Formats: sequence, C-alpha cells, structure tokens
Amino acid sequence: MFGPPQTMSKKTGGANTAIGYRYAEDTLKGDTDRHVVRQRQIYSQAAYGASGRWEIYGRVGVSDLQIADAFRSSSALTAVSRDSFEENWKFFGTLGAKAYYPVNSVFGVGAFVQGSCNFSNFTDETGGTSGGAPFAADMKVKYLWDVNFGIGVQASVPYGIQLYAGPFVYYTEADAYLSGSVPGIQSGAEKTSLKNASAVGGFFGVAVGLGRGFGLQIEGQYTDRFSAGSAVTYTY
Amino acid sequence: MKVNLFILVLVIFFFAAVGFPGCPAPDAVCARLPEMGDGQVTGDGQWGRGDRLWAMGNGKSQDPVHAESPSAGEDVPARKDMKPSGRSQDAFQDEYKDEGQDYDDEPFADERVTIADPIEPFNRLMHRFNDRLYFWLLKPVAEGYKEAVPEPARISVKNFYYHLLFPIRFVNCVLQADLTGAGSEAGRFAINTVWGVGGLLDPSSNQGIELPKQNADFGQTLGLYGVGHGFYIVWPFLGPSSPRDSVDIAGEYVLDPLSYFTPWYTSLGKRPLKMINNASLSLGDYEAVIEAAIDPYIAIRNGYIQYRMKEVQARRAKSLFFRNRKNAAPEAADPPPAN
Repeated sequence: MFGPPQTMSKKTGGANTAIGYRYAEDTLKGDTDRHVVRQRQIYSQAAYGASGRWEIYGRVGVSDLQIADAFRSSSALTAVSRDSFEENWKFFGTLGAKAYYPVNSVFGVGAFVQGSCNFSNFTDETGGTSGGAPFAADMKVKYLWDVNFGIGVQASVPYGIQLYAGPFVYYTEADAYLSGSVPGIQSGAEKTSLKNASAVGGFFGVAVGLGRGFGLQIEGQYTDRFSAGSAVTYTY
Repeated sequence: MKVNLFILVLVIFFFAAVGFPGCPAPDAVCARLPEMGDGQVTGDGQWGRGDRLWAMGNGKSQDPVHAESPSAGEDVPARKDMKPSGRSQDAFQDEYKDEGQDYDDEPFADERVTIADPIEPFNRLMHRFNDRLYFWLLKPVAEGYKEAVPEPARISVKNFYYHLLFPIRFVNCVLQADLTGAGSEAGRFAINTVWGVGGLLDPSSNQGIELPKQNADFGQTLGLYGVGHGFYIVWPFLGPSSPRDSVDIAGEYVLDPLSYFTPWYTSLGKRPLKMINNASLSLGDYEAVIEAAIDPYIAIRNGYIQYRMKEVQARRAKSLFFRNRKNAAPEAADPPPAN
C-alpha cells in the first residue's frame, strides 16, 4: 500500500493513522530458479503531514511468508514431504515519505519513496528421503526487505473521493539458507539470494472519506503478480 | 506476591469494616472535616493513589482556609474539638473568624465529608515522606524529563498508560451497571488501539467521535455497593487512600496487562516512569495546593475524600442499578451528633 500521493493530514499540519491489510504476490528469482512469493500483512500506520504537500509515515505490522516450491526437489532420488515454505506472523516495519504538487483543484502529481524490512527471520522445515535415507532440513529466510519509488497522479472527484494511479520501481531481496545439504533441493546448502524478477510495477487506488475523520483506501498493484490492499485511516 | 498483596488488602478492608482492635468505631473517631475547605479540588483535579498524588490536574484551592485547620507545617490532628498548637486559640480564631462565619453560607455546606483518621500520626509521617519524595526526587527528575521530552510525547506516554488500564475501567463499568460507560470504554479501547497507534494517541476524544473517558475503579464500585471508606490512609509512594480505595491497588495489579505480558522487572520501571511523566505534565499544581493550605495534610485529606465522593456520586448517576436509589453508599456522611 502506497496510499494517495497527497497527505490526508490537515493543511495546518497534523497526524493521521491507519490500519491496513495487504495481500501481496510477487516473483522472486534465485540463482537458478523462480518462486512465487505471497505475503499477507496487517499493519498499523502513523503519519505526519502538513500543507497538503508532504508526509512522512511509518508502519509496524505482522506478515506471513509463503514461498512456492522452495523445497521442491529436482532430483529423482530426493522426495520431500512438502514443497512450499510457509511461516506465520513476523514483525515488519516500513518507513516512507511522499510529496505532492497540486496542478489545479482537481489534479495533482506526487512522488513517494517507501522501504520495508522484516525484523526477524522466517523459518520452516521440510523432510523426506534422499537416496533412501530420511532427512530433515530447516530453511531460514533472512533480511527480507524492499524499497519502492514511484510517482502518481491524483484526481479529486465529488463526494470526497480521490482516485490515484502511477508507476513505480522497486527492489526486493532476501537471503535463504538451508540447514543441510540435500541433493536436488534448489536452495542447496548454500546461501541463496532471492531478488525480484521484475523491477517495475503500477498502482492504482481510491480513497474515500467515511466521515468523522475516518477514510477508506483500496489499492491494487501489479508487478509480476497482482497485489491488493485496503486501509482504514483516521485524520487528527 | 499477588496473593500476599491481595490478602493484605483484604485484611485491611476487613478491619476497616468491623473496626480495628482496640480502636473505637470509625464514627467515634471520625474527624470532622471542614465543609469544602482546604484544598478543594475543582475542574479535572485528581486526588488519589499513586501518580494521582502528583498529578492533580487543574486542582486549585479556591476557598479560604478553614478556621479549624492548624497552621502550616504543624502535624496536628484535624479534629474539630482539638486546638491548633503553636498559637493561642483566641488569636487563631480571631485571624480566621470571617472565613469560619462564611462557611455555613457556602453552597457545599450540606456536603459534609467525614472520614476516620485513627492512624493520623502514621499518615502524617507518610504524607511528609511523600512530600519530601516529591520535592527532593520526583520534581527535579520530572523537570529534567520535561526539558528532555517534548510535551506531545509526554502526553502520548500518559495516553498509553491510561490505555493499558482499560480492563479496570471496563470491568468496573460493568460491575457498576454502567453499560453505556462500558460500551464507551470498549469503543475507546478499540479506536485508540487501532488508530491511536496502540494507545499513544487518543482519537476517541477528538471532535466527531468524542467517546467520554470512564474513570471507573474498584474503589468507586465498592462505594456504589455501600462500602464506606473505612479510614484515611496515606500510602508511601502511592499517596492518599482508604482501605476501600486500596482495593484498587490490587485490582490494578491484577488487571494490568503488563503484569502478564512482560517480565516482572519491567514493573519496576513502569510505575516510576508513569509517576515522572504525569508529574512533568502537572508541575506546579501540587505546590499550588499546599501553598494555599494552612495544613497541607488536612487539605489533601479533604480534597481526596471530597474528590472520591464526587466520583462515586458521578458513577452512581450513570448506574442502571443505583441512579434511582437514594444515597446507596455511605460515601459521605454527616458528622456524628454531638453528645
């Protein structure tokens, strides 16, 4: 979630907060293979902005992680109990800033930069047989982080609705470690760096005022896969 | 530790209800306190245990000092039949006779607040201890803290501590049959948790939402159900209280989420930080009260008991069970008739 380019804070300056949910999919590529990665994030956001022109914000939330085929074996001698890596909620944090320039009373353009990182490692284990011998192995995904930069166009339409869209570039990286050497498992025993397969995406969204300071944002993003999120905001 | 504290409070509470061995009944030793005299707290002034001692909001001593009050700094019992020491009774009465005559005309004259004070020497000692603690330690630290931490951050810390004690307020609203208040507290908790960044901010009080705070506690609940104060007691570090209101100390410990989700030693830092933070937001209020009082001990005792009485009355007005009953709780009683 990037949110509309223009801050929701009062022009005189003030805070706004949000709680959001985001379902994100992307494709990360390792040294030799590609994995579809899914994350579900629940976060709380606090932001400060002023003059309708700028805003800084931070988020803290929890996120799970699924990496499809992370344990899939390419060797006929190795059979695993399950292919996908899955780990439940871990904390993550996000920092971002945005600036906005109103072209006229309806349209405006803005830019943002946003970075996230997970505070702890994701861990999952798998087991099976390799050459007839049973094995068990842990995989850790460390240092999952991303940074995004984008520009957006915003249109303020009647009923306090804001529509926005724009392109963005991003970079995602994580390190995957398998505890033991298992022939045929892609990650192997070595450290494998996972990086985003594509570098460019687009986003579009709508922000609606709900009254009494509350607002609703719904946003979609498309990179290599489609992601979507929603947030309920409150402006002080 | 929890069990021991709880048993201690229960024992004190029991003796408060039945009377201390060797002590006359509370009414017999009841100190007749001036009618809204020293240390009257108005506005959002807070008197009470723990941080409340140091965070008295806008509490001001607005009324002239009562003629019966002893001179400042003197540890003299506040009984009406006792003479202030250190000066002649005649000179004392001459000096304050005007104020004393005006008293019966005050609008609050019918709200005579009484509380037994059988352990006044101990209380005065603890009052002095807390006073010294404030001036020698808490105030200097709070002033430094105030310089170092911006006011919005200190208000956020205060909001956070208040937010954490939601279970106490919610449970007591339910026990007091104040379902509107319970709903308000639940709404406040949800909104402030989600959009108040875990309680650091207070959007529930903002225009448009305006969910009122419910300062419900166990002492008020017991008061609503007819339990009297018992007697006045000043706890070291915690400040003025009574056996009835001291139940809230145990209640706060039991229902404070931090008691369960953090290591025990975090409690050692939690309360001091809370006291320092609250003190930094109300520096000068305590000084204003004690400077305006002839006897700060009496002033604080009166203020505390009157403030608690007002709180119980306010809670009674919101209770589905008690709002139509006449004075269900002996929160404040007229002084015993003269023999």
